[in-house]
Amino acid sequence: MPTVNLNKWILQSMTGLSKEEISDYLFKLKSEVNEIDQDTISVEVNADRLDMLGLGGIVRALKGISGKEKGERKYSVNETEYVLEVGDVPSRPFALACVIYNVRLNPEFYLKELIQFQEKLHDTIGRRRKKVAIGIHDLKKVKGKIIKYINLPLSSTFVPLNQSREMSVAEVLKETEQGRIYGNISVRNGMTPAIVDVEGVLSIPPVINSERTRISGETTSLLIDVTGTNFDAVYQTLDLLSTNLAELGAEIGSVVVKGTKEFKSPLLNHVNVSANVSNINRRLGTDLDGGEIVRLIQKMRMDASLDGDEIRVIVPPYRVDIMTYADLAEDVAMAVGYDNFSLTQGSSQGLGTLSERSSFYRKLRSLLIGAQFQEIYTLVLMKSSYQLAGDYVKVENPISVDYDSVRNSLMWNVLLFLANNQHSRFPIRVFEIGETVKAKAESDTSYLNELRVSLGIMDSKVSYEGLQAPLHEVISNLTGRTPSYQAVEDKLFIKGRCANIYMEGQQIGILGEVSPEILSNYGVLYPVVLAELYLDKIMGMV
Amino acid sequence: MLSDSELKIISFLKSKKVATSDEISKETGLPLSTVFSNLALLESKGIVKVISDKKIQYISLTSEGESRLRDGMPEDKLLRLLNGNVGNLQELRSKMGSDFEIALGWAKRKGLVELNGEEIKPLVKDYSSPENTLLLKLRNGDSLNENEIQTLMKRKLVERKERRLVEVELTQDAVSKPQELYLTHEMLVSGSWRGKEFKPYNVEALPPFYPIGKSHYFRDFIEKVKDLMISLGFKEVVSDYVEMEFYNFDMLFQPQDHPAREIHDSFIVNGHGSLPNEELVRRVKDTHEKWWKYSWSEENAKRLVLRSQTTAVTARVLSKSPKNARVFTIGKVFRPDSIDATHLVEFHQMDGLVIEDEFTFRDLLSTLRDIFSGLGVKQIKFKPAYFPFTEPSVEVYGFVDPLGWVEMAGAGLLREEVTNPSGVYAPAGAWGIGIDRLAMLFLGVKDIRDLYSTNIEYLRSRRVV
Repeated sequence: MPTVNLNKWILQSMTGLSKEEISDYLFKLKSEVNEIDQDTISVEVNADRLDMLGLGGIVRALKGISGKEKGERKYSVNETEYVLEVGDVPSRPFALACVIYNVRLNPEFYLKELIQFQEKLHDTIGRRRKKVAIGIHDLKKVKGKIIKYINLPLSSTFVPLNQSREMSVAEVLKETEQGRIYGNISVRNGMTPAIVDVEGVLSIPPVINSERTRISGETTSLLIDVTGTNFDAVYQTLDLLSTNLAELGAEIGSVVVKGTKEFKSPLLNHVNVSANVSNINRRLGTDLDGGEIVRLIQKMRMDASLDGDEIRVIVPPYRVDIMTYADLAEDVAMAVGYDNFSLTQGSSQGLGTLSERSSFYRKLRSLLIGAQFQEIYTLVLMKSSYQLAGDYVKVENPISVDYDSVRNSLMWNVLLFLANNQHSRFPIRVFEIGETVKAKAESDTSYLNELRVSLGIMDSKVSYEGLQAPLHEVISNLTGRTPSYQAVEDKLFIKGRCANIYMEGQQIGILGEVSPEILSNYGVLYPVVLAELYLDKIMGMV
Repeated sequence: MLSDSELKIISFLKSKKVATSDEISKETGLPLSTVFSNLALLESKGIVKVISDKKIQYISLTSEGESRLRDGMPEDKLLRLLNGNVGNLQELRSKMGSDFEIALGWAKRKGLVELNGEEIKPLVKDYSSPENTLLLKLRNGDSLNENEIQTLMKRKLVERKERRLVEVELTQDAVSKPQELYLTHEMLVSGSWRGKEFKPYNVEALPPFYPIGKSHYFRDFIEKVKDLMISLGFKEVVSDYVEMEFYNFDMLFQPQDHPAREIHDSFIVNGHGSLPNEELVRRVKDTHEKWWKYSWSEENAKRLVLRSQTTAVTARVLSKSPKNARVFTIGKVFRPDSIDATHLVEFHQMDGLVIEDEFTFRDLLSTLRDIFSGLGVKQIKFKPAYFPFTEPSVEVYGFVDPLGWVEMAGAGLLREEVTNPSGVYAPAGAWGIGIDRLAMLFLGVKDIRDLYSTNIEYLRSRRVV
């Protein structure tokens, strides 16, 4: 979840709320507040509420839910002479811009907050600048009124932000940190997208701005450009930025965008969403009347009106998360307060049922415990070099070789467990019931889980019979059938001391004394007798 | 009650009345330390009386002394090797090894050999050192005079030691009847048990280790959660670890460029799955493209991952277009996380799903209250939240002493964008609960790795709760 840091005193004075009230109301708006130091709080914001990634949006939402203001906060837009000419930039086709007057970036907190908001938008709706990137410039340092969005060759030069010399775009991509992180997103065929004025480059989205138009505490007006690969995300980002700055007292100026079509930006797009009073009540389990629902939606800073049973909501440009009536229902629920829902007494549905696997392995589990085995429970992911036989599922992007594959047998887990307990009190008699994964099976993913059990005994002396005897009793009690044993050679076991276990002509498991080679592979210095049963097969028979 | 050792000592004393600890140890075969501790016990029971208890000095072989007694003194060996002839220094050194320098030193000091360059010339033909004679004397139990002792001490062959010697006397005839170790079937058949006494055991001693069969404490917790869900009317469903992104993400309305779908957030498995019926796929595609405004790719949906959420099981249930459902699943999910006391690359989630005609958000909150109250969390609160596939969404916080409010579950009513493509039109509530963290809170486990402990003594030591 994104976290934003805010100045506590500024937030309190802008909303007229106490520290505790702010904390409580933000909790009701999905956000958690933590105190960083005596001046700063951090607010965890949910990824859907992009407007609340900035101070303006938080203030607007708090004023609504605390009842100080209601309905949509509308911001006036002044026309300006600025023009954005959008050229053909195939790797990043969409661009919009606006200007902002009377912006407050002093004291430093305001400047930092704006940059923080920009970065949070980059990370969320911007998908780490792939989908959307934002450039913010000091308007007074921009030359002329015609701004262009074009493709430039990588040899074009400018002074990038925080640099003192002129560099080519190619150099910027190679030598600056920003260039290395974002450089490969939109460069195609030796060309980079660029925002330019008559004097040259203002920014090369999504990488970096120019030093020339850097913003500072003295800045009072801004040019904001937003570029990206998805038009909706681009206009929503500009709507969010401009409305949040306007909430803090700035004025929005429009820019004429000239491309395949001509229009003004920001769009400040409004969407009509309607819902039924009964739909909302049915979804929430409430009994609210239409007027009450309208009032609650207004608290969430949207305009709403009632027409019979229908509630008509005009979603403002800063609430890009509202898509359907379900989203409105959630806002109504939040305005009511989740803790104000009167909960129903548990509706009795009778008893449910366990899965076949669970009820089967529960019986097996209690039999094995009765046979004096200790249950163990280990991890499904394991080091592939321990899987000594059979196909297994490899993890393509492991974080460590210790967990680079999915177990295909539980015998590996039991052997590893025994290896780890050679200094414990003997005898060690253990079992694990669990799922293994079989590769290339008949299923829509070509992989299937298989339920198995593995048992092992380690002692100063062990014998085949020492495990066969309890296992035989367990299988007979579990299935009502008598298993049979057929000698087999298997590299895991000592020759002449290994058998496949059969029932109704099908192999249901394997049993034997582990060969010294295998023991030394696992670093085990005591003899071990080991077995595994294929529970899915056994379940299929009983 | 007398122990085996005590009985042995008494039976020896019966033949002798007065004896020393040395004699008792020699006759009974008990080590001296056992003799002393048992004599103390017998004295406290009034069976023996201590006549004297003193420290005596004695001469004891050092480990070097023992080896010289066994193998002979080094200078004796040297002269034996020379056998009256001149010998070569290097050859003798290689024959005798580390003893050579010692042998040569003493042989020169005793005037037994002469050294000329590399040659060693014996001055006597045969030699047996007095040290050797003294060692043999000591072994035979003969006593040595002070001069002789000094000779051996100079060469660190013996040392002076002190030990305890206790003299005791039997004061009463403690035992009268013969004792039996086991009551047998034959005794019961013949009646010969009559008139017999059975040897008392030391019943207060702690027993040897006995391995019992025991269930795993974390599995017990998981089974308890299952039982709770059954009692609330839910049916358990399961599915597999390897999952298609279609069920893990796409059906749950997570757009394909969503940050949670990036490569480092789930474990990738090689291969491609095959998508379900075309109608469902088309509807999922249309929904994504309508709301998220991008071009949805079938190839991305077919990619395989180790499921990163058990909500994938919920998606599988939905894909069967049920009219009603009241199901849950508990199982492993996998995420590439760095491993520490609170994070592992795999853990359990419990996901639930209710599809019912009149199911409301309020019913969902009530169900969650029932689940947590069944788990033993009496105080909960609800926080509005965001998940791509639910609206309204809620996080459940439970109050746990001494931690305070702890986030325990995420839940919500499934969006119609999730249910409608599968042909489910009734309201549906869903939730996911992280089971490992809950188990840690309830079971007092500080490190998540202990839930999967590979230390059997830890498992043996956990009390069953």
